[in-house]
Amino acid sequence: MKEWARKITDEKVRERYVNEVIERFRDKIIRVERNADNQWIIEIRKEDLPEVIGYIINHPEWKETQLSTMVGADERPLRGKFSLIYWISINGASGDVFFGIKTYISEDDPKFPSVTPIHPGANWYEREVKDLLGLIPEGHPDPRRLVLPDDWPEGVYPLRKDFHYTDSPRREFTDETKYPYREPPKGTAVFPLGPYHVALDEPGHFRLYVKGEEIVDVDYRLFYQHRGIEKIGENRLTYDQVNFIAERICGICGTAHALAYAQAVEAAGDVEVPERAEYIRTVMAEIERLHSHLLNLGLACHDVGFDKGFMDAFRLREHVMWLAERLTGNRKTYGMVVIGGVRRDFLEYRRSMIEKVIRELREGFQKWADQTLSTKTFVKRCEGVGVLSYKDAKRWSSVGPWARGSGRDFDARRDHPFAAYKYLDFKVPVYKEGDVLARCLVRAEEILESIWIIEQALDEMPGGDILAEWKEIPPYQEAVGFTEAPRGEDVHYVMTGEGNRLYRWRIRASTYNNFPALPDAMRGNSVADAVLIIASMDPCYSCTERVQVVDARSGKVRVLTEKELTELSRKASRGV
Amino acid sequence: MAVTLKYPFVKIEAPPEYRGVPHINPRLCIGCGACVNACPADALLRIDDYERGTRKIVLDVGRCIRCARCDEACPTGAIRMTRNFEVATLDRKDHVEVVELRLHRCPNCGNYTDYTERALEKALQILPEGLFDGDEIRKRAILCRNCRRKLTVDDAVEASREVVE
Amino acid sequence: MRLRSLYVFHLDTGACNGCEIELFDILTPYYDAERLGVRLAASPRHAHAMAATGPLTRQAYYAAKEAIKAMPPKPRIIVAIGTCACSGGIFYNGYPIYRRPESGREGQEYPRRGGIFELVQDLRDEGEYVGPVVYIPGCPPRPEEILYGVALALGLVEKQVKGEYYTEEVGFELPEYPIEERIRLSLRERLKYVVGYFDRERILEDFMELVAKAKSAEELHGLIQGYCLKNPEPRVSLAMRVLEREFLRLNEKYGWEVKGSAEAPQSEVRGLQVSADGDAGPR
Repeated sequence: MKEWARKITDEKVRERYVNEVIERFRDKIIRVERNADNQWIIEIRKEDLPEVIGYIINHPEWKETQLSTMVGADERPLRGKFSLIYWISINGASGDVFFGIKTYISEDDPKFPSVTPIHPGANWYEREVKDLLGLIPEGHPDPRRLVLPDDWPEGVYPLRKDFHYTDSPRREFTDETKYPYREPPKGTAVFPLGPYHVALDEPGHFRLYVKGEEIVDVDYRLFYQHRGIEKIGENRLTYDQVNFIAERICGICGTAHALAYAQAVEAAGDVEVPERAEYIRTVMAEIERLHSHLLNLGLACHDVGFDKGFMDAFRLREHVMWLAERLTGNRKTYGMVVIGGVRRDFLEYRRSMIEKVIRELREGFQKWADQTLSTKTFVKRCEGVGVLSYKDAKRWSSVGPWARGSGRDFDARRDHPFAAYKYLDFKVPVYKEGDVLARCLVRAEEILESIWIIEQALDEMPGGDILAEWKEIPPYQEAVGFTEAPRGEDVHYVMTGEGNRLYRWRIRASTYNNFPALPDAMRGNSVADAVLIIASMDPCYSCTERVQVVDARSGKVRVLTEKELTELSRKASRGV
Repeated sequence: MAVTLKYPFVKIEAPPEYRGVPHINPRLCIGCGACVNACPADALLRIDDYERGTRKIVLDVGRCIRCARCDEACPTGAIRMTRNFEVATLDRKDHVEVVELRLHRCPNCGNYTDYTERALEKALQILPEGLFDGDEIRKRAILCRNCRRKLTVDDAVEASREVVE
Repeated sequence: MRLRSLYVFHLDTGACNGCEIELFDILTPYYDAERLGVRLAASPRHAHAMAATGPLTRQAYYAAKEAIKAMPPKPRIIVAIGTCACSGGIFYNGYPIYRRPESGREGQEYPRRGGIFELVQDLRDEGEYVGPVVYIPGCPPRPEEILYGVALALGLVEKQVKGEYYTEEVGFELPEYPIEERIRLSLRERLKYVVGYFDRERILEDFMELVAKAKSAEELHGLIQGYCLKNPEPRVSLAMRVLEREFLRLNEKYGWEVKGSAEAPQSEVRGLQVSADGDAGPR
């Protein structure tokens, strides 16, 4: 292990954090359990939730605390109650600790005090738990439906254990069941344009409330891509099969999800992964980061109107895709990660291929970066646009380059070293300006860091097996698995079950924490910049398909397609 | 400098490591169903007909996510990932491959067992020579479970009679 | 109606976006779908075809239906890109996925149902004309694969895939190897943990060839040394040595002399002669 990793994972450092929390809330804590190396579950009563969580997240001395995920589970077959766990992590290179603040909620009184007034980052988590399990957050500022489709009946909660995973109850689509968008700021009339519109076609519906050209507020309706993956994973698939559905959660960060899941199960089941497998996983994760960042930078150029940059970025990216195809058999769904290791080995000729491609990529990318960052159009269009302040980024628990561009010094590879990162040296680029340019620079630097990481990993790759044999994983063990996907921290929670299956699986993709911060970043910018700001958050591509623009002054509604918005954005570059 | 590949007007082959659509070699398949258990997307089905005494292993390439778990699981190497990717069609029936095998029939009672004749042959091939009494094994292996149990009980009764006498 | 160009409107019915990215890729210069006459249309009203991806979630169902109805009445071709759009993919029976009541949610039907065709059937039941559906499976399909599918829709290439129904008539082959079957299966399993499932068949074949040539443990060892010297891949050499060790250990475990089969002239022994005191050569 490298020295920096040793410092972060030091036992004494971890114990200091844990002991301080235990000391402070001595009389409120029911039980403390250390379920993995760096994870502690602390059980309290539900009334104490806001206090304990507020204390840890807003602690004056602990750097970069983060609400990593929140899980609701139906533990009635086990303990007769529902459970709720808020997972909070310490970051900023100050110690590798995850706190799981757990509480039980009985079926007769399925309410709990909402944490959102204290920490807005809990907003989406509590709405999701209300949708899928029926646990009601009291005091939540915005308890609208989040996840389930509009034609899903009230009072039916899919993640409860008495709901069969293939059931699909419907209800009539009427005026009352239409999605309740927020009222626009006063002084306007709204043209009601429901989810049915002849031109409306799908995932990610935004409403921009504008005054002239300036964005005043944003509302959205997402989760068109909710596919019930967690329920399928808990019922139909065995441990090893879940890796494959995890890869298909997202079209770009597939391996990151599969890796987070595999690590969660390995932590829960005490499966030790051979060193060579850890290195191979690291190399695959970095290759994924390369192609994802190149995609995003290319799109940013395209939105600005700088098509030469766009085409060049994609030309560089294609070589990474071909490399992935020769290493794993597919350009995107690598199918490499299984519980206990990886499925394919790096033979010598494959290693040489990787070395050749990344060497050429480094040269090509440096040329691209020089060319793009000296293009006045690009720089001027991105500077000062879509600023997200550090305070906002922390309030919403943002992750990834979106947060690192705003000054949050937080990277799961460094702060919770997993796979082979603890044996490697790398930097984490952080910029303070918080605008689109800062995020582009973060991504550009990360590409060069990734190339360096891959070189180190290939150099030091040890021999040995690539897969560990494991026979049985004990049931009802809980653990959290985490990776740094290209978009940010990716956290999966598992509770193992019986019969080679999971009991509970909770996926938290990185964009989940970033999206709610979008209105804050978009306020005050012009409509032409909307696409650029959304692209700099790097959401899963199709979330930005459709935007509705409501003019607060005239009350007129224009519907702009993605193409039209992009045109608007590109035209604005002419004035620069 | 032209970079565009001339595909589909020239023939192109995927790289040797590519995971294309799977294909079942019907001469090697023993109908064990290991691939059916392994498939995460349920693209493989095992359909038993105890009236006609057949087992069908059905592969639908349009449901396949090409993860290669079936390839990993198959004990005889019958189902293999090919490098074929040109499987677009207008008719979904073109995506279906069926292997129909005979279920083994118990010579004693005449009922169909839940394994195929080929699976039985394969199991006997795996059986190590000289470890067990080959003839006794073969006598029992061709019976169905119920008849086997009956035979064991009958043998035990016979043996106990000999002791008593 | 023979089309010379295809204006395609992209419709995402809940996909993971892998297929979207590949669709994006075919517009880049390496693949260049535009030379086949394919262009992305800004609105369904201007589109010949609809490129659908995703397993058709219930939330996206209504908007998708409106979008297809907004297309001009002919030719209304639907191109189902990706395994999810062809048949529902790995998500096919999750609770928010749309499936017609006739399709059932846990059935054993084949061809497997799901994906955009559920919506097409609903539209046809309502009396709407929907043109032919082109299925391009893959998870995600390669850009070349999508190009092939589009070329098929335009009539530029021939269809190559065909359904098959095999019965016992094709015959049964139970191959015999130079190594006993149960030992071969154990070695095959062990290799999965050393080099992975993809390379193990080839390595195992090479190993069995050497076993067939060798008449004793020492000779096998020498042959393996020779093989490793000639082979530039260190991982393959490692795998061969692991195989040798495992093979001798498994043979010794049962401690008896394994005789060769009289009918197989090419192999002298099926396994090796293990001497009485258990010394089977170098470890």
